[in-house]
This record gives sequence, C-alpha cells and structure tokens, in this order.
Amino acid sequence: MQTIKTALLRTLSLFIVWWALTEGDSSGAVFGAVVSLLVALVSIRLFPPGTYAVRPGSYRLRILGVLSFTGHFVGNSVIAGVDVARRLLLPRLPVDPGSLTLTTRLPEGSPRWLLANALSLMPGTLSVNLIDDQLELHCLDQRMPVTAFVRQTEARIAAMYGITPPDDSGAQS
Amino acid sequence: MIEFTIQLVQVLLLITGCLFFAIGTLGLFRFRDTLSRIHALTKVDNLGLGFLVIALLPQVASPTVGLKVLLIWMVALAASATSAHLVARAVVSEQRGTEGGEGPDA
Amino acid sequence: MTLLLNTVAAFLLLTLMIALVRIWLGPDPADRMLASQLFGTTGVALMLVLAEAQAMPALRDVALVLAMLSVLAIAGFVTRVVRIDRSPADD
Repeated sequence: MQTIKTALLRTLSLFIVWWALTEGDSSGAVFGAVVSLLVALVSIRLFPPGTYAVRPGSYRLRILGVLSFTGHFVGNSVIAGVDVARRLLLPRLPVDPGSLTLTTRLPEGSPRWLLANALSLMPGTLSVNLIDDQLELHCLDQRMPVTAFVRQTEARIAAMYGITPPDDSGAQS
Repeated sequence: MIEFTIQLVQVLLLITGCLFFAIGTLGLFRFRDTLSRIHALTKVDNLGLGFLVIALLPQVASPTVGLKVLLIWMVALAASATSAHLVARAVVSEQRGTEGGEGPDA
Repeated sequence: MTLLLNTVAAFLLLTLMIALVRIWLGPDPADRMLASQLFGTTGVALMLVLAEAQAMPALRDVALVLAMLSVLAIAGFVTRVVRIDRSPADD
C-alpha cells in the first residue's frame, strides 16, 4: 500500500517536471505520462520507500520542516552572497581563511549531503570533505561563529527529515 | 501604474544581478587561494543568478515557462554547490598529496 | 525591456570573458576547473536572459543542459585527474 502511494506520488512529481520542461505543450503529454510512470517504477526498484530511513520506514519529509529549512536556506544564501561581495569591495579585503573539522550528528545518506551542500552556499563556509561523520569546512573568516551556525542548520535539517534531534548538545566540541 | 512598478522592480533586479556577477568575477582576481575563489564563485554568482531569475519571471509567456525557469534555477543551485564541494575536495587532496601530512591553512 | 535584456546579456558575456582570462592564467588544474562552474552559473544566466531577449525558448533547454554538464565535467575531472576517490590515509 505504502509502495503504491509512493509510486503515484513520484509519477505525479515527475509529470509536473515533464510538463514544465515541455513548457505546457499538450502534444507530448501522453508520452510524458507514460515515461513518468516508468521512471517512477524504476525509482521504486532502485530507491525503495524509506531508503534513507534512520529506522526503516520512519523517514518522511515534514512539510513544515521543509518550509522552515527553505526559509533558512534562502535567507542565509542571500546573506552569504552579500557578505562575500562586501568583503571583496572593501580595499583591505578582510578575510582570514582557515579550515575546521566538525562531527556531524546527522545520519548517513541524504541528510548529511544536504548539510554539506547547503553549507557551501551559506555565509563563510565551504564544505571540503565529508568522510563518515567528519565534515571538513573551509571558512572564509575564522572570526565568524561557524560552529554555532552549523549546529543551527543541522537542527533544521533534522527537523525536516523528522529525525529526533540529539539531546547531548553539550557533549560535542 | 502597477505595470510601471513591476517594470521598475525588474530593472532594479536585473542591475543588481549584473552587479553580483561582476563582483563574483572580481573575486576570482582578488582572492589569493583557490578555495577562497570558490567561495566567491559559488555564493556571489548564485545570488546574481537568483536576482536575474526573479527579474525574468514577470516577463515569461506562461506559468509553465515560469515553472521551467525555477526548475533550471534549482538545478543550477544544486550543480553549483556540488561543483564547489568537488573542486574544493580536489584542491585539498592535491595539497596533502604533494606535501604529505597537514596541508597549509590557506 | 528587450534592449535592456540584450544589454544585460552583453554584460554577462563580458564578465564571463574577463573571468576566463583568470581561468586561463591558472596555474593549478583545479583553478582551471572553475571555468566549468562558471559556465554552470554565468552561462545559465546568460542563456535564460537571451531566451527572453531573442524570444528563443530553446535557449532555456541549453541553460538546463549547461547546468547539468558543468557538474558532470567536474565530477569527471576530480575522479580521473586528481583522484579524490583515494582516501587520504593511503599515502
């Protein structure tokens, strides 16, 4: 039952993408619907529902979490662009680059990669390496409060995936 | 009146977008190390692309075209973040490979 | 508006060309690979603006292909030239 629901949802999403890519041209709609269905079936085979589950079957995107993360992401990527632009336009070029390695608390798979990729578009951080749970960041300015910011982004991603946030917040360095 | 306001906003957004692209290119020249250059290229250029996309949205022929432009924007964002990570990883592994042990900080 | 869009397109082309000079100076291969990322953003912006200015919807497909190819080119580069797949503990 869950599988059929996921298959239908994926077919619908793919068809919306098809519809946008063909700019609403109706002549290809039937073909697009068939392709969407086939791709959805293949995707079910390759990525069964709950592939990235923390506990199998428990993983589902939370709508509110997605909205909250999107807001956080858009706002901060604007700040990031303006911040780098401001530094570049100042004659003395106030940067102090360095690297920093953190231990991420997100589970393996898409949550971790989303964190790494999102941080590259956020103020002052660029993800350089991700080996197991060790996330190496390049910081444009070491004086910025990078760790606190990463923790905040991490919490948003955890909420979005419906992962219970780890309560040992004081135990990490 | 409303049409005029929209056009004014569009013009401002287009100019802002161009400014950010220019600053991104400036970053390629002003920053001394490759990793900092990636910062400039990724963040500043993506913001420029964002402004241009929003400026173009009222201009498109139909809502589906608008949706397509938004889709392209999202693909470009994901592509840029992934590229930044991969090139940064290549730079760091190159540094560690040639010098052995810890690479320099910058 | 069309005139403005054409000016924007010309300006984007100019920044792209200036950036390519920097890429040409290198010196590292990784520095040069930034050209691919550059086409992934500036190139996409240029195509989207031109699609409106010249009323050529096909250019939007070009933009999409540019965005996707830019990341594939870099993925090819980092796995074949620099070999990031080697773990740092190996040597």
